[in-house]
Amino acid sequence: MTVCNVEMPSYTYAVKAEKLLRARGYPCEIKRIDRPGSSTCGFMLSIRGHCREAIGILKNYSVPFTQIIGEEFDNAGKLR
Amino acid sequence: MPVNFDNAATTFPKPEMVIRAASYAMEKLGGNAGRGGHALAMKSAAEIYSAREVIAGFFDAQPENVVFALNCTHALNMAIQGIMNDGGHMIISSLEHNSVARPAAALASARKASMSIARVYPEDQRTVESFRSLIRSDTKAIVCTLASNVTGQLLPWRDIAALCRERNICFIADGAQACGVTDVKLSDGINILCTAGHKGLYGLAGTGLLISDGKFPIVPIIQGGTGTASSSLAQPMLLPEALESGTLNLSGIMSLKAGVEFVKRIGIEKIYAHENILCRSFMNELKGNEKITFLRQPQASYVPIVSFTIDGIQPETAAAKLSSAGYYLRAGFHCAALAHNYLGTENGTIRFAPSVFSKKSDVSGLCEKIKLIIP
Repeated sequence: MTVCNVEMPSYTYAVKAEKLLRARGYPCEIKRIDRPGSSTCGFMLSIRGHCREAIGILKNYSVPFTQIIGEEFDNAGKLR
Repeated sequence: MPVNFDNAATTFPKPEMVIRAASYAMEKLGGNAGRGGHALAMKSAAEIYSAREVIAGFFDAQPENVVFALNCTHALNMAIQGIMNDGGHMIISSLEHNSVARPAAALASARKASMSIARVYPEDQRTVESFRSLIRSDTKAIVCTLASNVTGQLLPWRDIAALCRERNICFIADGAQACGVTDVKLSDGINILCTAGHKGLYGLAGTGLLISDGKFPIVPIIQGGTGTASSSLAQPMLLPEALESGTLNLSGIMSLKAGVEFVKRIGIEKIYAHENILCRSFMNELKGNEKITFLRQPQASYVPIVSFTIDGIQPETAAAKLSSAGYYLRAGFHCAALAHNYLGTENGTIRFAPSVFSKKSDVSGLCEKIKLIIP
């Protein structure tokens, strides 16, 4: 199963994103980032499966994120 | 048993659920929210987010736009200075508390911004016109109280909000005396709501809120640790952390969440009705005494606060005598010099402010004592 990790700018937005996606049936959880980038809060949202749709939901609801780490995406959140 | 009728300053007693929530935070939530990934910190962070959700729901806002402050004054300073940071003109009302008037005056005296004062009248339409007439091409913000802390007069804030929306002016509202007793929603046109947590919302002293609708960026006046973008020297601009540098008051926030839930459980309408009945009862029992003047006008609407004066006795002297008799009321200027200039109450007033816990029998007891101190 595809897993994508979305680096979040704040814990507040990490929880907001997690609640938004879970309410729509996307399994995800907040995790600490081993080596956080300069613009993150040290938390990421780990989404299992349907990453493309899940990222689309975050964008539709204007939930900011700083970077996506996953096979399907570049770090701008676009499909490779 | 002493009776507190100074609930406009801070509500006391506090609901049992508020006390329990504060204790729970101190006993069980030891972590520093947003400052680590260990279980203790994560639990605290989750509780803080939950508080943001409850408060956002109450005021029709988004959780990420709920900023926890030290008190209403702190929130208002962040809003006023954060919006007016690059200059422009602002309008405040003639009934403002010093928490609005002083930061506005400080910006004006430092020539960082200019300000005008709109007179508030008993008639709502005249008040709205008073604000409208002062709007200039460079007016960036209207900052006004929703209800006066001196007289309790409700301002026509929904009309003022509409005026702001029409002119793309930021409407900053001081909700300290209105929140918890009247229905206040950001969706009614408030861009930035600042309020106390410890008055009508029944949280602990040392709590306040700034709630934004996100339309007007607020430049932080305090920089520091936010738990976000930690390797950068630049202050992050994302709410709520941008305005929450430093460790949050976890017990206070938990108490505030419980306070809001308490208000929701009882219902704003019931709270208002109860306190309003006590205000009417207070005025009725003292009615007809020609030495007592109530600062109320028949054309205006009020939150449950009654300010009054007694001929022949200074407000502070009267309050001291009442305190000795076990009734606690605030006297003086109530930190609102502008309001007294407008009201013509050069010696200040005595303020009667009940809470949801106040009793009719205590109001009667107070009135009996007031009759005894009339010269």
